[in-house]
Amino acid sequence: MALQNGSLLSSDRKCVRSPRMKNHKLIVSQSLIRSYRASIQDELQKHAYNFVLCDPGLPDHPIVYASDGFLEMTGYSRDEVLGRNCRFLQGRDTDKRAIVEIREAIREERDCQIKILNYTKAGKPFWNLFHLAPVFSQQDGRVVHFVGVQLPISSKVAARKDGHLTGLELSFDELEFEEHFDNPSCKNYHLSEEDKQRAFAAVKAVLQELANSSCKGVSSMRSKSFSEGVIPPGFVATSLLLALTRIPHSFVLTDPHLPDMPIVHASLEFLELTGYTREEVIGRNCRFLQGPDTDLAPIEELRSSISEGQTCTIRILNYRKNKEPFWNSLHISPVRNSSGKVAYYAGIQVAVSHSSEEDEGRARMQQLGTLGAIKVAVRSIQTGPVLRKSKTIS
Amino acid sequence: MLAIKRVPTVVSVNQDCGSVSRDCLQSCFLTGFDLPLFKYTKKMKTTELQLLGDEEVPSSPPTIERSFLGTLLLSKWEERASQGLFRYDVTACESRVLSGNYGFIAQLNEGRHLKKRLTEFRVDQVLQEFDPKKFNFSKVNRNEVLFQFGEGEEAGYYDITPILSSPDFVLINVSPIEYGHVLLVPRLFDFVPQRLCANDLLLALYFTAEVDCPYFRVGYNSLGAFATINHLHFQAYYLAYPFPVECASITRINKGSLKSSLRISELVDYPVKGVVYESMDLNEIAISVASTCQELELRNIPFNLLICDCGTRVFLFPQQALHQVSQKVLDTQVNPAAWEIGGHIVLKRKEDYEHATEEFVTALLAEVSLSDPDFQDVKNIICK
Repeated sequence: MALQNGSLLSSDRKCVRSPRMKNHKLIVSQSLIRSYRASIQDELQKHAYNFVLCDPGLPDHPIVYASDGFLEMTGYSRDEVLGRNCRFLQGRDTDKRAIVEIREAIREERDCQIKILNYTKAGKPFWNLFHLAPVFSQQDGRVVHFVGVQLPISSKVAARKDGHLTGLELSFDELEFEEHFDNPSCKNYHLSEEDKQRAFAAVKAVLQELANSSCKGVSSMRSKSFSEGVIPPGFVATSLLLALTRIPHSFVLTDPHLPDMPIVHASLEFLELTGYTREEVIGRNCRFLQGPDTDLAPIEELRSSISEGQTCTIRILNYRKNKEPFWNSLHISPVRNSSGKVAYYAGIQVAVSHSSEEDEGRARMQQLGTLGAIKVAVRSIQTGPVLRKSKTIS
Repeated sequence: MLAIKRVPTVVSVNQDCGSVSRDCLQSCFLTGFDLPLFKYTKKMKTTELQLLGDEEVPSSPPTIERSFLGTLLLSKWEERASQGLFRYDVTACESRVLSGNYGFIAQLNEGRHLKKRLTEFRVDQVLQEFDPKKFNFSKVNRNEVLFQFGEGEEAGYYDITPILSSPDFVLINVSPIEYGHVLLVPRLFDFVPQRLCANDLLLALYFTAEVDCPYFRVGYNSLGAFATINHLHFQAYYLAYPFPVECASITRINKGSLKSSLRISELVDYPVKGVVYESMDLNEIAISVASTCQELELRNIPFNLLICDCGTRVFLFPQQALHQVSQKVLDTQVNPAAWEIGGHIVLKRKEDYEHATEEFVTALLAEVSLSDPDFQDVKNIICK
């Protein structure tokens, strides 16, 4: 947020993309390819609804797909919205309570249908019937995407057509600006069953399309075994993911309760540092970063710290996917969840060139700050499915 | 005569010291020593200027990255934790959400209240003179000071600087409720008692905005509303979970205007009566909230503040000045202060934690809520 003379400028008219998403085009297309066939964009294009797909595993939960209808409704171009969080639709008079409800639904990984005041690029407000639905992976139970369908609500009954509502329908040209927002009758006007059903139908159609195009299996519901409490190893709840993706540094979370302590989460910066994709690292032990000239002594130190549940900082030679070596100042620490017991081991990487004192100081601050942010994230109470209790490390 | 028994928490290891320890902040201030300094600026940052443009223009790298303050705070805190300066590892404390409508968060923290002492000062008087003989923040151990926080032309971070002339400090709370629990002490050496003015509140809002994290909240307790120490301070910590009060329904009580974006609303269907101020303009919030709080102070109405959403939402909870509390509630030793009213309850005893229910918390919080006529008086103050 920007500060100017004590006032926080609202960035609602301007689309502000997280600076961490500078390769957003690549990241966004990877998000789709990871779960669906390459033809998914064409398949989704066939639907005339206004909708977006968002990825909770990327920084700031960005849009990775936007339909033509959505762009027409809001007045933005595709490039302006891809890689950005949906909050640019909100504005000065958007009810905070509605935003909170959407946030809660995302955290709890469930559907939500709500009327919310949104704004076009030109700044015109419109009431929007918004329907959110999670898309679950059949493999590991994670939410791979959220679908958001928008139905602009018109005050003019005569203007309603039987088909989809495409394009923007301005809802209250004739109403006074101020009068509108605080007048309770305006908030309650005309949300018919028909509108709600139309939103449901749109969501269902999109979800069906995603399921059909999926290479690894996605669904609007979790697998039966998951609902019965059988949680796949390496599952990460959306609420944890949202907190972890806020952390703008290179790190991994590994699970010491699983055989060979695999990576269960890797930050975007880790992937960029090492050159690997998410699929190439999740489920593997970190040793793939070692190479021919990696000294074994610090590895031994690492191993013994882990077995004692201690923190440790080492300097180790690692290799990127393209075999390029780099010096890695690695800090590891056990991290506890809301049960108070150790759930993960965090590994935080800082690529160091020389060891100047200032570099060391800065690296140290980044590592500890990142570790603190990880502890805050993991400590939060995970909503959604019940997680299995962690065992303490002996 | 106040019936709720106060159990003061230990925020500094020096709290019990009769004499001034050589290592305390006051002594160091006199002899001079260096501390890190974080400078925030009220002017727009150049990074934001570029980001707001329609094209992404190439810019020179910023002096510090956005929300560097958060990284600084967390790293210093983690450093102190690894040095054993906290009385316990707060991440080893269990938490759970109580089932029901509100989603209250209960934590089992057996280490927080170890000492039971008589209260240090009257608890039925909101405004009290500063008493240098009592514990104040100049007496904290120098290790408990994380950094100075000050305003400047440009934002920046300085690893080692001498103490500023009228410094604002960020200290650790040695009995943390959550990870990153710190105390913000504006103009520490002015030795101001616990009372609110617009400038000090604005500092707290800037602090919250600079950290730029929706999980980081700042709280204020007046005397009589369970403030621990009569030396002006705010508290803050991270919790990556919504506070129940943040999700409560609200209804607007002030008139909208095209000039001002300040919305003041009252809580609807929440165990404690309260109001919330919302605006993108921090100045506006600070002036409005402080003016109401000063009226409350004059009328001897204790209150708590909870600053959320990076400084853009401030909850105000006025409290009953005198009230009777059931013995059952007393025995749990829960003081309904800013965090508790917000919905985060720290319980000392295992049996209380295991048997905690939404009904119990609702009843506890309702004890301090104002009556309808008293709350109406407060709303009249706000809306006049």
